[in-house]
Amino acid sequence: MRAQPEPAGAALSDGPPGPLTPLLQLSGINTFYGPVHILEDVNLVVGKGELVCLLGGNACGKSTTLKTALGLVAPRTGTVTFDGVDVTSRPTSERVRRGMAVVPENRRLFAPMTVLENLQIGAWVRGAPDPADLDRVFELFPLLEQRSAQIAGTLSGGEQQMVAMGRALMSRPSLMLMDEPSMGLSPRLVEQSFELIETLHRDGVSMLIVEQNANMALSIADRGYVLQTGRIVLRGSAQELSNHDELRRAYLGR
Amino acid sequence: MELFVQQLVNGLTLGGVYALIALGYTLIYGVLQLLNFAHGEVYMVGAFTGFFVMVGLGGPGKPIVPVWLMIVAMFLAAMVVSGLLGVGIERFAYRPLRESTRIAPLISALGVSLFLQNAVLLLFGSRVRSYDTPRYWSGAGPQVAGVQVNPVRILVLVLAIILMVGLTRLVEKTAFGRGMRAVAYDRDAAVMMGIDVNKVIVLVFFVASALAGAAGVMVGLVFFNVNNYMGFLAGLKGFTAAVVGGIGSIPGAMLGGLLIGLIESFTTAYVSANFASVLSFLVLILVMLLKPRGLLGTRAIVKV
Amino acid sequence: MAEESLAIGTDEWVAAHEGRTSGQVQGPVARTFGRLPWWVWGSIAVLVAVVLPLIGSTYLMRVGVNLGLFLMLALGLNLVVGYAGLLDIGYVAFYGLGAYGFAMLASDKFGVHLPTVVAVPVVVAAVSIFGLVLGLAARRLLGDYLAIVTLFFGQMFVEFALSGDAITVPGRAEQVDLTGGTNGITDVDRFSFLGVEFSSDRWYYYLLVVLVVLLALAVRRLDGSRIGRAWKAVGQDPLAAEAMTMPVNRLKIMAFVVGAGIAGLAGTVFAAVQRGVFPSSFDLPLLILLYAAVILGGSGSLKGALIGAALLSLLPEALREPSYSEMVFVLLLVAGLALAVRSWRDRIIVVVATVVFGFVMNLLFTLLHVQGVPASAWTSGPVSTLLGHWLFVPQDRVLWGNLGFVGLVVLLAVLTLVGTRVRPILLPAIVWLSIFVWFVRLADVPSITRQLLIGALLIVLMIVRPQGLFGRRQVEVL
Repeated sequence: MRAQPEPAGAALSDGPPGPLTPLLQLSGINTFYGPVHILEDVNLVVGKGELVCLLGGNACGKSTTLKTALGLVAPRTGTVTFDGVDVTSRPTSERVRRGMAVVPENRRLFAPMTVLENLQIGAWVRGAPDPADLDRVFELFPLLEQRSAQIAGTLSGGEQQMVAMGRALMSRPSLMLMDEPSMGLSPRLVEQSFELIETLHRDGVSMLIVEQNANMALSIADRGYVLQTGRIVLRGSAQELSNHDELRRAYLGR
Repeated sequence: MELFVQQLVNGLTLGGVYALIALGYTLIYGVLQLLNFAHGEVYMVGAFTGFFVMVGLGGPGKPIVPVWLMIVAMFLAAMVVSGLLGVGIERFAYRPLRESTRIAPLISALGVSLFLQNAVLLLFGSRVRSYDTPRYWSGAGPQVAGVQVNPVRILVLVLAIILMVGLTRLVEKTAFGRGMRAVAYDRDAAVMMGIDVNKVIVLVFFVASALAGAAGVMVGLVFFNVNNYMGFLAGLKGFTAAVVGGIGSIPGAMLGGLLIGLIESFTTAYVSANFASVLSFLVLILVMLLKPRGLLGTRAIVKV
Repeated sequence: MAEESLAIGTDEWVAAHEGRTSGQVQGPVARTFGRLPWWVWGSIAVLVAVVLPLIGSTYLMRVGVNLGLFLMLALGLNLVVGYAGLLDIGYVAFYGLGAYGFAMLASDKFGVHLPTVVAVPVVVAAVSIFGLVLGLAARRLLGDYLAIVTLFFGQMFVEFALSGDAITVPGRAEQVDLTGGTNGITDVDRFSFLGVEFSSDRWYYYLLVVLVVLLALAVRRLDGSRIGRAWKAVGQDPLAAEAMTMPVNRLKIMAFVVGAGIAGLAGTVFAAVQRGVFPSSFDLPLLILLYAAVILGGSGSLKGALIGAALLSLLPEALREPSYSEMVFVLLLVAGLALAVRSWRDRIIVVVATVVFGFVMNLLFTLLHVQGVPASAWTSGPVSTLLGHWLFVPQDRVLWGNLGFVGLVVLLAVLTLVGTRVRPILLPAIVWLSIFVWFVRLADVPSITRQLLIGALLIVLMIVRPQGLFGRRQVEVL
C-alpha cells in the first residue's frame, strides 16, 4: 500500500468561497459494499445556490457518493448534513421531502406510464400534486405538455431527459443531484441538456452534477471535485480545475 | 342444457374466487418479484376468521343479527384479519430478505406456509368445520335461461366482480396506484423519487391478502367446509391462474382465474373430478410452452 | 496520491481489491471443520456408521435407515439445487415414482415379482426418463417458472397416487386400479441378491451406508471435474455459462436426470424396507424438510448437505419421546440463550429474571384461580417442588397452551422489532413462556411441533444465514 494521501484531497483553493452557507455536506464518509471499501474519507460541500461537479473515471465511486448523499447507500462512518439537519440515518423519502431531488443515471423513467403520470410521481412527497408545479414544468418544457398523455418509454432520448428533469422539479427541490446527465445523449442533446441545467441553476436550484464529461461539466460549474478510487484527490474552482495540468491530461484530453 | 348453465354459473363463481387469489399473487409478484407461497395460507386464515365470526354471531343455527349483516361482518373481519396477517408475513419473513439472494424469500415463504398450516392445526385442531350456509340462507335464486341458480353463488360472483373493479380503479386512478406501479416497474427509481417503498409494499400486501381473505369466506359460503389444509390446493389453483394470465398482470389474473374455474367445473361435470386438477395443470404447461409470459403478461420472469 | 498521476479506468482499483476487503468470508462452522482434512471426518463418520448396529436396537436401525434414505435424497437434491441452481420443487415425486415403481414390479398388486437385480435398474431407468421428460419440458424455464412447473409435477404425482385406484379407461367397463389410492400398495417384496433375502432393517442399513458413501465419493469427485464445474457455472450464472459456450440446456437436463435417478433409487429401497408405499409419504412436508436440510448445510456444499440432512433427520427422533424432548428442548434453549447473550453479567441477569418471572406468573395463575396440576417433569424431591412453583401447568392444557403459543409468537415478533436495549427485558418472558408452551402443549403433539419448528427454522435461517452453515456468502456489488 502506498502512503495515505491527505484525507480531503489536494485543495487548489478552499471552497465554498465567501459567505455561502452549506446546503449539502458530506463529512468523513466511508462506504463499503460487503467487505469492499468503496469510499474513503470523502468530504464534500455544496453551498446554497452553487453548481458543483464531481468528476472521475469509471467505477471510482462517483455514483456511490451521490447515492450516499441521497440515502440509497448507508455509509459505515461519516455524516450527511442537508440544510443544517443531520440526515445520515434518515430514509431517502425524508431527504426528498426536505428538498433533494435526483435525475438518475440513464434517467430511469417509469417507461410503461404516461408522461403526466411520471411527473405526478415526481410530486409524490408533496402529497396532492400542485397544479402550479406542473405549470412551471410545462413552461420550462413546452414539449412535455403536448406529450403528456404519451407513454414515457416511447419518447426520444432528449425528450426522456426533459421528463426526468421535469419529474425531479415536481418536488420543488432546493438541491438537484444529477447522475451523468450526458450519458447516452448525442452531442447536440448534451449541449441542450447542459443549457437546461444552467437555466435551472439560474432559477436558484443548487446542483451537484456527477459527470464523466469533464469538459462540459467544468464549463458550467462553480466548483468541482475529482474522485479517484474512492478518494477525493483534487478540489477547487472550475477555473482552477480546467487549468490543472494533470487533470487536463487525464480527463480533458488537451 | 340445464347442466351446462349450472356448470357455467359454478365455473364463474369458482373462477371469481380463483381470480381473487390470483390477484394477490400477481400484485405481490408485481411489486416484489416474489412468489408468495404463503398466500394460500392467508386465504385459509380468512376462511377460518369468517367461520368464527359466524359462530360468534349465533352460528348457522340462530343468527343473533340479520343474515345480511352477519355476512357483511364475516367478509369485513376476514379481510381485515387476512390483510393484517399478510402485512405481518411481509414484515417478518420477507422484508429482512429484500436484498438477499433470489431463492431465500422463496424458501422463507415455504417456511411461513408450513408454520401457518401447523399453527392453525395446533390452535383449532384438524376437525373440518362447516359454514353450513343452507341452514340460514335458503331460497329461490334467480332464473338464468330457465334454470334455477343458487343465490349464494350469484352473491359471491357479484362480490368478486365488485372487488375486482374496485382494485382496478385503485391501481389505475389513485396516487397509491401510481406509486405501486412505479415501485413495480423500478423500485430503485421509485425510492429516488421519495416514495416510501416499504409503505407501498405494506399496503400492497394488505390489499392482496384482504382479497384472499374475502375469497376464503366465499369458498366457505359456497362449499361449506374449511380446514387447515385448504390453503395449499386453492393457493396452487390461484397461482396457476396468475401464471396462465401472465403473472404481474391484473387483467391477466382475472382472465386466468375465470379460465381455470370454468375448466375445472366443466371437467368435473363432463369428464371426471379426478381430472380437474390435471387438466388445469396441462393448460398451465401448454400456456407456458406457447406463451411463456402468460396470456396477457407483458414481462417474462427472467431473473434466476 | 495527488502527487501521483491521475489514472483513468479501474485497473488500479481492481488490483487493490484484495487490500480493500475486510472481514472473513467463511463462517465459523466451516472454519472449524476445515482444520482436519475431509477424509478424516469421512472415515470417522463411516466407522461410527459401521459399528453402530453392533450396539443398536431395532429402533436405532429404523432411525439409521431413515437417515440413510434422507441423506441420499439430500445429496441428489443438492446436485440439482445446490450445483445446477435449478429450483426443483417436485423432487420428492421422483422418490415416490421410484417407490411406486418398485412396488408395482415386485408385489402381489399385479402378481409381478421381478428379481431385485432386474426391478431396481428398470425402475431407476424409468424414473430417470421421467426426469428427462420434465427436464425437457422445463429446459427453457428460468428460476420461478421452473419452480412452478416442478411444484405442479410434485402435486400431480401425489394426486395421481391418491386417485389412481379408479381410472376410467375408454372401452372398458370396470375401472382400473393402478396405485391403490389412499391404501397404497402393500406386501412389497424384500430386496434379495443372489438368493440372500434382506430380511431385517440391518441389511438395508448397511446397503444404505454403502450407497451413501459411494454417492458422497462420487459427488466429491464431481466437485473438481469438468461437469461439476460446468453445473456450478450454470447454477451461478446461466447467461455467462451460455456465453462460455457451455451447453446450458443439456447440462440442466443432465442435472435433472441424475437427481431423479438418485431419488428413484432411494425410492426403491424405501419401498422394500417399508414393504409398502402410500401417497402421504411423498407429500410437501418431506420436500420442505429436504430443502431445509440442503439449505441448512449450505446448498452446493457436500458436507453441508450431509450434516444438514443428519441434523434434520435426527432432530425429530429426539422430539418423539416427550420425556426426552423436554430435556432436549431445555438444553437447546439454554444453548441458544448462551449464544444470544454474550456477557456473563447479562446471562446471570437473564437467568435470575427468568426465575423471578416464573414465580410471578405462577402467583398470577393462582390469584386468577386457574385450575392447575403440579408440574410432573423430572423426578420428585425438592427440585421438583420448586419447579412446580415456577412452572404452572393448568388443567386445561390445550387452551392455556394455545394462548401461550400465540403470546410467544407475538413476543418473538416484537423481539425482532425492538432495539438491542429492550431485548434483554423481553428475554426472561420469552424463555419462561417457551418452556411453558413446550411442557403444556407442544410436547404432546410432536408431529405438529416438528412442522412448526421446521417452518420457523427455514424463516430464521434465511434471515440469519441464507448461505447455510457451510456456504459462502456472495458479495453482490451494486
